[in-house]
Amino acid sequence: MTKTPATILVIDDDPDFRLAVTAILASAGHKVIAASGPEEGKARLLADRPDLVLLDIMMDSLFDGYALCHAVKTSEEFAAARETPILFVSAVKDIAGARFGFGEGGEGLSAPDDYLDKPVKPEDLLARVERFLAK
Amino acid sequence: MAAAPYVLVVDDEESMRDSCAQILAKMGCRVEAAADGESGLRLVRESRPDAVIVDLKMPGIGGLEVLDEVRLLDPRIVTVVITGYATVDAAVEAMKRGAYDFLPKPFTPDELRLIIARALERRHLALEAEALRREKKLLEDNVITLVSHQLRSPLVAVQQYFEVLLAGMAGPLEEKPREMIQRAGERLAGLMGLINDWLDLARIDQGGLVRKLKLVDVRAVIDKLLEFLSPLSAEHGAVLAWVDRPEQPVTVLGDEASLEQVLANILHNAVVYNKPGGRVEARVGEEEGYVKVEVSDTGIGIAAEHMPFIFDQFYRVSRGEGTKTKGSGLGLAIAKKIVEAHGGRIDVSSVPGEGTVFTVRLPKAGSDPLPPADSPG
Repeated sequence: MTKTPATILVIDDDPDFRLAVTAILASAGHKVIAASGPEEGKARLLADRPDLVLLDIMMDSLFDGYALCHAVKTSEEFAAARETPILFVSAVKDIAGARFGFGEGGEGLSAPDDYLDKPVKPEDLLARVERFLAK
Repeated sequence: MAAAPYVLVVDDEESMRDSCAQILAKMGCRVEAAADGESGLRLVRESRPDAVIVDLKMPGIGGLEVLDEVRLLDPRIVTVVITGYATVDAAVEAMKRGAYDFLPKPFTPDELRLIIARALERRHLALEAEALRREKKLLEDNVITLVSHQLRSPLVAVQQYFEVLLAGMAGPLEEKPREMIQRAGERLAGLMGLINDWLDLARIDQGGLVRKLKLVDVRAVIDKLLEFLSPLSAEHGAVLAWVDRPEQPVTVLGDEASLEQVLANILHNAVVYNKPGGRVEARVGEEEGYVKVEVSDTGIGIAAEHMPFIFDQFYRVSRGEGTKTKGSGLGLAIAKKIVEAHGGRIDVSSVPGEGTVFTVRLPKAGSDPLPPADSPG
């Protein structure tokens, strides 16, 4: 059991991934809220005020993980949830770093607080979660 | 609605400027005029016209110089020259320097209208073609990203379940099922590697590599790889080492991640295809115009009949009886494409039973690319 049980919002369009990740987080005593897309995720983020967000990047929508992350970090609409740490979790390896880079080639999108490659190692995920909650 | 075409007239004769401006304005163009080459070029720099009409004979900067400068500033600007002495020589010279057409003095309003309309049409088509090319490129890039996502997502979901099961987070797991899941996970990882390799090839084929070249220190890349591969070479009982490590960094212009991928692949092969107690040696030297990296091993070598095919996709050389060959069979094909995309070449020589030498040549920054390699041998 973890020292600090938390509420974690998982936004991912893959139901199997949500189920697997929920099992990992639940094993450490965290409460999981799952959302199947950015729109639902946005609503849950504002209504449930989770301690941390796990966010998939590529979802079948133009309003994808990049866009949601950028909105949370910059838009007035999310002012109340601005400080919620966002952890990108994605299988799109080579573009994950590229698009939120502030250097050359980046699109100037706001960076997430951290990111993990899919599939995530359960111990890695729990360690990151722990680190964010300690802050 | 498209903006009115913007035409700049550069002529030292005031009457010529005025009459051109009048005719063009009637055509629906926005017109600016400049009385000499210098102020004309300033306007080109500041406001990027669609077309420039320039008199060849002017005091100060002449028309030909204006043409050269405009082409340097923006080759998409169409230029038309006005020439007082309608000699073929002057017109040919102007066309050579990139002018689209010429107007011999005196000319009628109709002649001016016709030539400018054609010049603007030509610019329009060129810009459209460029936009289409860009769009096509973007679409192709996106297709690869989407296909990559579609292929990987289901595998990742299965791998994720395996991770959860193996961590015991879905309940206790007995030894037999655990072992099977472990193996299933390894097969899945192999498939994932194959998909990644295949997508890498597709990306390189599209020229996606050479867009962001930087100075890469080959010596540092090899340092890193030797350290990274040392556990593997220990496992295979091989010695992996530098020979004459350069005292200074050795730089080439390239994409660091993909060059690292090439050298990692060659070094990795040299280790796993080695004999127990064998050696793998890395050398870096500079030859005229290029940096040469050599990786030699004391392994089983490659038989002559395999040599012509080892850079082919999916071609694999068995390591002999009783051993299973891992990997996608794409590693060297990718390596070859990456090296060639850098304007370099990769060669191999081998003596069966004694060892193999892979040589990668990469052009030094600023030098000409090498011709593609002949068949390896």
